[in-house]
Amino acid sequence: MNVGLNLVLAASAALFAVGAFAVVARRSAVLMLIGTQFMFMAGSIAFVAFARFGLGAVNATAGAAVAIFVGATAVAELAVGLAMAALIYREHRSLAVDADRG
Amino acid sequence: MPLIGALPQPITSAPLVILIYAVLLLMVASALASVLLRSTVIATGAFAATMVLVALLYLTIAPFLLFAVQLLVFTTVSAALLVGVLRRTTGLESTQEPFSREWIVGTAATAAVLALLVVILASTSWPVRPVNAGAGLGATLTNTYVVGLAVLVVILASAALGGGLLLAAPTPARPRGR
Repeated sequence: MNVGLNLVLAASAALFAVGAFAVVARRSAVLMLIGTQFMFMAGSIAFVAFARFGLGAVNATAGAAVAIFVGATAVAELAVGLAMAALIYREHRSLAVDADRG
Repeated sequence: MPLIGALPQPITSAPLVILIYAVLLLMVASALASVLLRSTVIATGAFAATMVLVALLYLTIAPFLLFAVQLLVFTTVSAALLVGVLRRTTGLESTQEPFSREWIVGTAATAAVLALLVVILASTSWPVRPVNAGAGLGATLTNTYVVGLAVLVVILASAALGGGLLLAAPTPARPRGR
């Protein structure tokens, strides 16, 4: 038994699917944002796995560098998204993204 | 420029393999719990647990710096932002949602995405080639991605500042009857 590229990519795909489910199925803005975080994390894991197990473009640390940039982007997206969720809550006393439909 | 380096090998050390399997299983399980549980607060806790588990995964297959950044910066800032917003909005209230049409559509969409990814994974033979160990992650960030690193620091500082302000702000009083 060993750990190679395919195992980590499979876990990454599963995490991405969980995030997609949250974005499509949940109405709470917070849970949808958590779903997008999972999708960002899945992408980061795939980059790191490719760099670690054989597809590093320049060197082995390139994947980790991309993962750091992706993580920062995800945090920034979370900050902006949560600010929007707080505004939705202030207007409609609900975190549901379709709260304005009445 | 030809790549000079060692051919990457799969991880075969038994304790490490068991650890990675456990981390991956727990990571997916806590992510599922995060999106399936009805309580937003518990979902946020499961989300933080997922981020910690991703950091543990990085510890085993990536440079230590990525583990440290994931654990100390990304997890902390994300959790602070989520807790801050929850304090100012629903608080400890549960966001009860019955199973609805969105859940069926979401499950179908997720199954389609997962099936597509599995088909790609199974049908692709990823070429393995030598990887240049090169400089460390810190050196790569400070030499190759200087501008990106500066932008990243500004973005993270802004997000951390926002999270801190949200946590420092007093919790708004709840109206009676809620």
